[in-house]
Amino acid sequence: MAGADMAVGILGALVLAHAAYITILYRGDLKIKEEEFVRPPIQVWIEVLISLVLCLWAALRVPGTFLPILPDSKENRVVALPANLDFMIFNHRGKLFAPELEAKFTKS
Amino acid sequence: MVGATEEMELQKLERDVEGGGGDVAQYLALVRKLRVRRSSTVARHGLALLNNSSARSKLGADVWTIYEQVAIAALDCHALEAAKECIGALRTKFPESMRVARLEGMWWEAKGAWQQAESLYSDLLADNPSDSALHKRRIAMAKAQGNLIGAVEATNKYLETFMADHDAWRELADMYILLQMYKQAAFCFEELILSQPTNALYHLGYAELLYTMGGLDNLRAARKYYAAAIEMSGGQNMRALFGICMCGTAITQTKGRGRDEKDSVDLLSLAGSVIVKQYKEKCPNKVDLITSILDKQLVANIA
Repeated sequence: MAGADMAVGILGALVLAHAAYITILYRGDLKIKEEEFVRPPIQVWIEVLISLVLCLWAALRVPGTFLPILPDSKENRVVALPANLDFMIFNHRGKLFAPELEAKFTKS
Repeated sequence: MVGATEEMELQKLERDVEGGGGDVAQYLALVRKLRVRRSSTVARHGLALLNNSSARSKLGADVWTIYEQVAIAALDCHALEAAKECIGALRTKFPESMRVARLEGMWWEAKGAWQQAESLYSDLLADNPSDSALHKRRIAMAKAQGNLIGAVEATNKYLETFMADHDAWRELADMYILLQMYKQAAFCFEELILSQPTNALYHLGYAELLYTMGGLDNLRAARKYYAAAIEMSGGQNMRALFGICMCGTAITQTKGRGRDEKDSVDLLSLAGSVIVKQYKEKCPNKVDLITSILDKQLVANIA
């Protein structure tokens, strides 16, 4: 799926490049005919618009899905405060059930 | 703050780690990030990770953070020998470090040698009076010795200097609640709400405090804060939903009968319906019980 979206983006860029190429050709023609440049031809307008849509699509789809930002969304809502570790105290009942821990690392 | 997604991730990782598989380093990193207190798990599996020299070498620069984390977790489990080894390893690596010196102070604290810890902290504070973590350790030490009044005084003094430290405000609120000085605790909660207005749990805590204090005005304010907590948690916080129900009943009881207060009944039945819905989803065999309780409350309020 990401490959297809990427292909759409590349197509959009190609269409944009083609529009630029057509415009250069058109201006060359105008120089030969000795006319003033007023606006690019309608084909260029259409190509630029198509490329805008394609590139927008790719830019929205390729980087992945949107993450929720609302604080009350299901994913983001706060379910617990962090333990206040700066103020942690050690003389609690955990001392009665001290686990058997042994550090065996040689000092490095 | 621990978000709902992160909590799920933590539980999954913890199950994996407890089951023998799973990435212990990733688990430890998540525990550090969310600042949760899982000392027993962290001490056992973290120490196993550190004991394995090939796994240790893969950790890179993180290894020293893990030494510190495991040391604190081991202190919390009262495994003083293991903690001493970790602190020793850190001391060899960072001979001049304040942070390691603080760990040594915590080791004395865990041992119950308050005198040594106190003198160590005093020496360190003389060198560096603006180290907030050291001030916090001294407050915790006063609390650990049962000297709550002294701890409250020290926290107040600390907060004069470090006013933006909301962890300290929370701790102060907790201690005031332990001392049953609710007015002062309410002030701390107001500070907390100001510092993090979108955190539903502070609104919930303040609401519960106001409910505990009682009185018609406080109960009405509590109802507002419960409602705010519900709004900010997307209606998922059961405690706030039950709080609305309790508040409604308490307001009717305090006010006596005969006066009109229609909105409270609306709010009550709304909260009740959400509670019932949640029960139907998660605990179907208790639905009858909860419906009968809520119905009784509602009838008492209307009557």
